[in-house]
Amino acid sequence: MSHHLFLLSPSDTPLYQLTHQSTRPAQSTTSALSSNLPSWSASAFAGTVAALSGASSISSSGAQGASSKGGPVGGGQDRHVVQMIANASLDVIEETMKTNGAMYLKSVEKFNEWTVSAFVTPGNMKFVLLHESKNDDGIKSFFMDVWENYVKTMMNPFHTAHTPIRSVVFDNKVRASAKKYL
Amino acid sequence: MSANTKQFKSIGDDLWKSRNEKINAELFTLTYGALVIQLIQDYEDHSEVNKQLEKMGYNIGTRLIEDFLARSNMGRCSDFKEVGEVISKVGFKAFLNISPTVTHAAAPQAANTTTGASAAGGLAGSVGSSFSLILDENPLAEFVELPDEALEGGLWFSNVYCGVLRGALEMVQMQVEATFVSDVLRGDDTTEIRVKLVKYLEEEVPVGDD
Repeated sequence: MSHHLFLLSPSDTPLYQLTHQSTRPAQSTTSALSSNLPSWSASAFAGTVAALSGASSISSSGAQGASSKGGPVGGGQDRHVVQMIANASLDVIEETMKTNGAMYLKSVEKFNEWTVSAFVTPGNMKFVLLHESKNDDGIKSFFMDVWENYVKTMMNPFHTAHTPIRSVVFDNKVRASAKKYL
Repeated sequence: MSANTKQFKSIGDDLWKSRNEKINAELFTLTYGALVIQLIQDYEDHSEVNKQLEKMGYNIGTRLIEDFLARSNMGRCSDFKEVGEVISKVGFKAFLNISPTVTHAAAPQAANTTTGASAAGGLAGSVGSSFSLILDENPLAEFVELPDEALEGGLWFSNVYCGVLRGALEMVQMQVEATFVSDVLRGDDTTEIRVKLVKYLEEEVPVGDD
């Protein structure tokens, strides 16, 4: 059972993406989606961006230089679907944001078996998590952790608001936190 | 020597506590970080940025030493070893509230000379001796991670410390070379600054006085 995390900047540029395989027992059969996706996909980040710009109308990160890696594209529809869902949910998130002032917006959308949960930081960063099972508390703690790590990364003077997050430290922390809560 | 060390520690502590105006550490860190980033953008060459940081530190150091001596009322240091002790226990403590560890190294045998010492009026300590300051916490570099270009370019993020040490000691008639040996930001185990005594400076007559 896997989870997909996307961190999006205020201008909807994807800054970070993580796919996490949960070791917790899932209640349903493993979906075809999870078995195809690699457990760690940061190295395919450029491919992600290319796929995102291809899969959706939000193409602000086109400047990344579309590296047409065979990997993500060959990885199947799955990746595209996941990203399409994430992007589609952005509209819903923004709607919800207008009414709901809280940071943690629970499940904003359901799509087949995927639920989309979102977390909006005061700085208008959106953390979008796609997951299959229901795990509100764990997800909330996970988001808080990611937020904390994100703030620490922001404090790095070499990082600007719209650069993709390449820090290994951040990466490790988010992975560890995913293991803990998801 | 341990009595002196304790004294220095307590002096340093007192100085830190007696100062009424303190600045928020995060603000300080963010300001310094922004400064380094701007220098990198302006000069684009990391070794040049190192030089500029050192120059800035030098200017800070020449002024800082006055403040330090006025507040601490310390007398002349008897030898270069004591200089190292005072800098680490009193100086760094009073201004940054950190206590770096100091290790001493005597001058290499061939360069052993005391002519400079006698001219400086009784200061013992061979030219060429050095001490190392090992900082286990560095307020300037909280939350900082160096990107690959900076690592390759050889950037010493906290190079301003070297300048401060050089400037301050030059005002008290010691010419030193202060350089970074290792830095945790670069992936090393410790952050270490080596300060090496080049020579004691003679009192110079200002140009134009004759």
